[in-house]
Amino acid sequence: MSQTMDPNNMPFLSEASVSVEIETEDMTLNIGPQHPSTHGVLRLVAKVNGEKISSVEPVLGYMHRGYEKLAEVRTYPQVTTLVNRIDWVSGFANEIPFIAGAEKLMEIEVPERAQYIRLILTEMARISSHFVFNGAFPLEIGALTPIFLAMEDRERVLDLLESVTGGRFHPNFNRIGGVKPVAGAGPTTKKDIQDLPAGFYHDTKVAMEKVLKAVDTFEDLIGGNEVFQARTKKVGILTKEVAEEYGVSGPILRASGVEFDLRKQSDYLPYDKFDFEIPIGENGDCFDRWSVRTSEMRESAKIILQAIEDMPSGPIQAKVPKVIKVPKGQTYVRAENPKGEMGYYIISEGGLGPYRLKIRTASFSNISILPIMLEGALLPDLIAIMGSLDFVLGDVDR
Amino acid sequence: MKSGERKTLNQSDQNEFINSIQSSFKNTSYNFDTLKINVDISSWIDTHKILKKDFNLSFFNWLSAVDWDNEVKTGDAPKEPVTPSFEILSCLSQTNSNNLVISSTVISKENAEIESLVDVFAGANWHEREAYEMFGINFLNHPNLTKLYLPDDYEGNPLLKSFELISREVKPWPGDVDVEGMPEESIVVEEKGS
Repeated sequence: MSQTMDPNNMPFLSEASVSVEIETEDMTLNIGPQHPSTHGVLRLVAKVNGEKISSVEPVLGYMHRGYEKLAEVRTYPQVTTLVNRIDWVSGFANEIPFIAGAEKLMEIEVPERAQYIRLILTEMARISSHFVFNGAFPLEIGALTPIFLAMEDRERVLDLLESVTGGRFHPNFNRIGGVKPVAGAGPTTKKDIQDLPAGFYHDTKVAMEKVLKAVDTFEDLIGGNEVFQARTKKVGILTKEVAEEYGVSGPILRASGVEFDLRKQSDYLPYDKFDFEIPIGENGDCFDRWSVRTSEMRESAKIILQAIEDMPSGPIQAKVPKVIKVPKGQTYVRAENPKGEMGYYIISEGGLGPYRLKIRTASFSNISILPIMLEGALLPDLIAIMGSLDFVLGDVDR
Repeated sequence: MKSGERKTLNQSDQNEFINSIQSSFKNTSYNFDTLKINVDISSWIDTHKILKKDFNLSFFNWLSAVDWDNEVKTGDAPKEPVTPSFEILSCLSQTNSNNLVISSTVISKENAEIESLVDVFAGANWHEREAYEMFGINFLNHPNLTKLYLPDDYEGNPLLKSFELISREVKPWPGDVDVEGMPEESIVVEEKGS
């Protein structure tokens, strides 16, 4: 039997060596713009050879809304409603660098209590964004259960955000010089209790305990899952040199072993008052990117629990003119958003609105490495790699 | 998985960095915590090479442009007259500190072209494509200078100040009327809780 299988004895095979792989032509595969794993409307034009991807060309712009142009015809307070909608999974966090930039140009000192409220809500936005990631990423690679757990726990955090700001996704809560007072409180109210709803501290404590528990669950349920590990470990490895060259930031950069977090390096919010750690990865693969984000949720919960313990009292709004006019000047203010570094380069000519507003978003730079990461990857890994980048198309297209 | 050590802002390190940049480049400014270098168009590429190599600014943050013009169709014109030109801005930073540099160069509107940065920072690719479609700036030696966001048959460069925002022409912004009587002098509200 074995003799007959010897290719040398098979005349019809003798002319071509059997070790030669079957040559196939590159096929163009269009993925998107409506594809469940694209988190919006990203289109990829992939050239595939069998299961292997030879090149990928992302096609952007299906979500382009022209915020940089729209900002030029709006006043500074009106721009905050726009920036909420850039990365809608963490709308609150988008407001911070813009408001901080306008305050820097106006040289306004923000009251400590307002800064603490901003910090707490930013961390809540981070937790809710990472909850979405912890649900969506396993879902994309075939694990259906985590999304139900993640969405339930996220709702608890969103309820808290809603109870303070009135909005689950688009809070529009920051004001230049402080935060929005509760309805009826007004800028002259002396009671500072009116800025946070009754029972907020208690509810926050309960919710954060649940978050800490959820992180433990995720680490067992997702991280301990052999199938998940096989799909993500050593898949989509990103070196820190490539990441830096392309401006990849946030958890993706930290998963590649770069210890860089603007919460530690910059002073846009008083993070230096709290004790927290920056999780970093070693291999820069999909598993590390998941792991860094999940550990970050724990640190964020720790920050919030510390912040509500030593919440300062006092005003929530600095003295500002009734009509906000930002003096002439240019500044770049950036912040560590859930998806990475977000910054605004504000050029003010002394008018009611910015002369030019350059919006630097994290997801835009983060997905610009897709052509490099996907070259030579297997088609099923495409979904794992894209999911691990955790991008939002509103953050890519602006 | 190991955890990062607690780092604090080091003001003296930052001042040292700013001083070293200011001694290496002639035309710099430091306003509102933003360090900006103004360079000539001919040294645009070399500046980035020096910043990357000698100053450890290896993180490519962003690149964009500004349309400086006195006649604007949208928004407000600059208060003081400016020379009509494009300003190209790029932002580089470090990944072990908060140090950050904005580089700026000015190019004329008639001859709106500049060397591409892609050879120095591969990440400039998409940023330059965006500036190309939004301002009509031609980046020389760019590997794939095509439109990034806009459809291929789109005409015009939307971020130019001469580009009208049609929706604003059709329907005036309701924000123009929702503030009751814009006072000329600024009114200071009473501080809360004081």
